[in-house]
Amino acid sequence: MRTFLATLFIALAGTLILWISTDGGRAFTAEEARRLEIRENPRPVPDWQLQNQEAEPFTFQDWHGHFIVVDFIYTSCPSVCLILSSNLRNLQKDFSAAGKSDRLRFLSISFDPEKDTPQRLKEHLSHFSADFTNWMALRPTSESQKKAILDFFKVVVIPDEYGGYTHSAGYHIISPDGKLIAIFGVDEMDELRSYLNQALEDRENASDN
Amino acid sequence: MHLTIKMEWLPVAALVILALPPMQKFLEQSMVTHMLVQIPALAVIGWFLGRALPENWGNQLAPWNRWGITGMVFAIAIMTYWMLPRALDAAVAEWYAELAKFITIPAMGIALGVSWPQLNPIAQGVLKLEFWATFMRLGWLYLDLPDRLCANYLLSDQRVLGQLLLLAGSAWAITWTLRVTFGTRIINT
Repeated sequence: MRTFLATLFIALAGTLILWISTDGGRAFTAEEARRLEIRENPRPVPDWQLQNQEAEPFTFQDWHGHFIVVDFIYTSCPSVCLILSSNLRNLQKDFSAAGKSDRLRFLSISFDPEKDTPQRLKEHLSHFSADFTNWMALRPTSESQKKAILDFFKVVVIPDEYGGYTHSAGYHIISPDGKLIAIFGVDEMDELRSYLNQALEDRENASDN
Repeated sequence: MHLTIKMEWLPVAALVILALPPMQKFLEQSMVTHMLVQIPALAVIGWFLGRALPENWGNQLAPWNRWGITGMVFAIAIMTYWMLPRALDAAVAEWYAELAKFITIPAMGIALGVSWPQLNPIAQGVLKLEFWATFMRLGWLYLDLPDRLCANYLLSDQRVLGQLLLLAGSAWAITWTLRVTFGTRIINT
């Protein structure tokens, strides 16, 4: 009887711990967990000191009032960042064709600020024939700023075996009032599009009233 | 007498060595050594710690752990938790998750060491088969997945781990087959 009770207790406690630590069976990986966390608890983006491709200072405050799509890159990246940024390019093209680009901005933030000089950031944008008026490439101005930014977005960057990096890839959506509200994976472009369409539409309706 | 005391302190010494920050860092820089060296080593340490515990502890615990069932459920719960990719990531990133790992995995080892020998042979067989199947399933999964499961580890690392799990599982299966068909004992399990 005591064995039965003890077993039952441990089984229940174990199930409960597993349930809690997977957010109710919804997030088994750290990547799923950070996406879920942001959806449920949007967080205000601090005012970091960044530098853009023209070597001008930039803070998120500068684009207050816009939806901002952020991706993380390093310009010598041979794989994922290229997909990330070319998807961003398509997004920019489609939204400006639909006449919706005035409330939408794009940011590519480099986590390799030593190598990614403003010059290289500019080349990166040109490579994707980006429209510079609403797409910027940025680098953090110090190591501590870089760490603060990566920690805030929970982006993990690890060195790979070819002298480059492997990193959490995704699109981070910042709302007009400066909060990180959603994260989409590279394979979720359709979801990202409909999310942005819906968000822009809601915004439009809200400003009409 | 002197020698037995020494032997009992051996797992504790091993635990301390594994907990040294350079050792932690070394074993956790790759998914392979994290999952196939550090975690099993912690479990084995727990197993020996369990053997070294005073006998009257075991006697007091016995009515709560008849046939070793409670201990096995406890061990399986901990095992399942540390199979979550985000648990492994947390252990690399957060000190409290790392601490939890260094406590729960040896605790799992203790529970296994105390409970496994008491377990019914049929239950032992079923569990062994299930552990083996987990090796093969995870191995296949890691080889096949196009995405990384852990934010702190490379995809190539995940693939190597998959290969090693399949290899270990296959080796295990072969030794069983030999034992069942010819009675050959390569390893004593």
